[in-house]
Amino acid sequence: MRLTRFYIILVTIPALLAGISIFFGRYPLTIENVFNVLFGLVLNHNVDPTHLGIVVHIRLPRIILGAMVGASLSVSGAAFQGMFRNPLVSSGMLGVSSGAGFGAALALILFDHFFWVYPFSFGFGLIAVLLCFIIGRFTSANQSITLVLGGVIVGSVFSALISFLKYVADPMDELPAIVFWLMGSLSRADYTHILVAGIPMIAGTIGLIAVKWKLNVLAMGDREAQSLGLNVKAYRLFVIICATLATAGAVCVSGVIGWIGLVVPHMGRMLTGNDNRRLIPACISIGACFLIIVDDISRLLTSSEMPLGILTSILGGPFFIYLLKKTKGRQW
Amino acid sequence: MVTMTSLTLNNAGFSYGDTSIFKNITLEVHPGSTLCILGPNGSGKTTLMDALLGIHRLTHGSIYINGKDIRHLSPGQIARVLAFVPQNHAKHFSFSVRDVLLMGRSAYTHTFGSPGPKDLRIVDATLAQFNLSHLAHRDYTRLSGGETQLVMIIRALVQDTPIIVMDEPTAHLDFKHEITVLETIVRLIRNQGKTLIMATHFPNHAFFLENQGLDIEVGFLHREQLHMEGSPSDALTWENLRRYYGVDTCIMEYNTQKTGKIKQIFPISTTKEA
Repeated sequence: MRLTRFYIILVTIPALLAGISIFFGRYPLTIENVFNVLFGLVLNHNVDPTHLGIVVHIRLPRIILGAMVGASLSVSGAAFQGMFRNPLVSSGMLGVSSGAGFGAALALILFDHFFWVYPFSFGFGLIAVLLCFIIGRFTSANQSITLVLGGVIVGSVFSALISFLKYVADPMDELPAIVFWLMGSLSRADYTHILVAGIPMIAGTIGLIAVKWKLNVLAMGDREAQSLGLNVKAYRLFVIICATLATAGAVCVSGVIGWIGLVVPHMGRMLTGNDNRRLIPACISIGACFLIIVDDISRLLTSSEMPLGILTSILGGPFFIYLLKKTKGRQW
Repeated sequence: MVTMTSLTLNNAGFSYGDTSIFKNITLEVHPGSTLCILGPNGSGKTTLMDALLGIHRLTHGSIYINGKDIRHLSPGQIARVLAFVPQNHAKHFSFSVRDVLLMGRSAYTHTFGSPGPKDLRIVDATLAQFNLSHLAHRDYTRLSGGETQLVMIIRALVQDTPIIVMDEPTAHLDFKHEITVLETIVRLIRNQGKTLIMATHFPNHAFFLENQGLDIEVGFLHREQLHMEGSPSDALTWENLRRYYGVDTCIMEYNTQKTGKIKQIFPISTTKEA
């Protein structure tokens, strides 16, 4: 029964937040306007096409995509922390974010059409993780540590490459586009994004849910996990594939939104404890809520949208400290 | 437990690159027996344990479980026969003791599954059996070293295997907890009929088990070879301790009213070559 209540809470809170968020935005719509659109859709009334467009084609996809991106980054971060037994790693640990950032910058320079940013960032995100794996193969030592190290190396190489691209980019239009993309935004959200980027995000997330208890066992260390009967290498590969798909899917549509994949898992740990059977679902829910809220603030705060990467850190930091004080790091 | 599971090593050898750790080990571990592997630190005991558990692949020879080469067994299949109690358990995340014990059921869960109510019942029953039910909801990172070791042993029991492999089960424990853990081990062998393979660098542990009236075989891992020397009384002689450990000792016997004759090794000095 307690478990049922737990899942009801996990679904209800993001749903409520999404419902409230639909009323927020830059375009002045009254509460009544929004209700008119919503009831109009259900009852098939005629509604103001501008209002309809704003609610259904701008606000709603943005909220849905925000929830998916937040959930994907958080759940991947939680899975990586558990599997690498390191509370300081995040969803971008194996270089996905830097690789994706490089891919996006490259596409912005090479092509005029923004479309190419998505396949390039997604593809280079995967290539970065693959490179980590190849580096990990060079030694026979503890593979977890080599992978983490590989992530640091690949990440810094791609960061340097991003800097190089910024250096050579046209400062009038390409450079601002790259900088803005790297700070993360949901402003381009539409239903195509949700459908296409949603496939890797949802597939990865479902995969991680499926092995949530096995993550507990993996947290015991490779040697113990294997002696307990787990095929450690196979599970590690599976977790990395799932987390990489989810993160790359999220990053390619939203840009680099830092901090979520590191801190949301810790919020989850403070609230539910470290048992991944609860932590993984909790991270999905908290991550979704967190990014919905941050994106609401981003839309409301200034007339030109504040990039999400800035806000997640500015808001996440104090909130994290508050949680730390409130729970005193209990169960953590 | 009446399943007769045999473990056989045939000419087993392992080397890291050019460095040979052990070689030519041929041994049969009989069901219900206890094998105490003695040897100083760095003699290769842990590597031998890892080879038995299928974590390291032998570079020579083979290990058979019930006649099957462990090279052809999956981690899950091995884990249903051999449970492992580690020497140093590194704790990274605070799990409840119950959650840690549930991990003993890994080998019985589906690829994408979690343990179910039946597994939880096994955990709770095993805890109760050792009067440790009060630990169930405790944060295991806050347990003492001795309690942690007991939890690790109970996890091995939850794993429900005929054979338990222990690597230095009493390392880093205080005086009382060392005895508590040894007494628990005696219980496993006597009441549960487990086959036990225990690596230790304390020769007195073999005597402790023998003093409790158990049937123990002692093997010394020395210069890459495993020398089987029989029961503790036969094996732990001052000649052997001098040969394998380089320590001069005397073996003391003492009669107590409660337990009868007990034996202990007293170290005197390291062997000075004449």
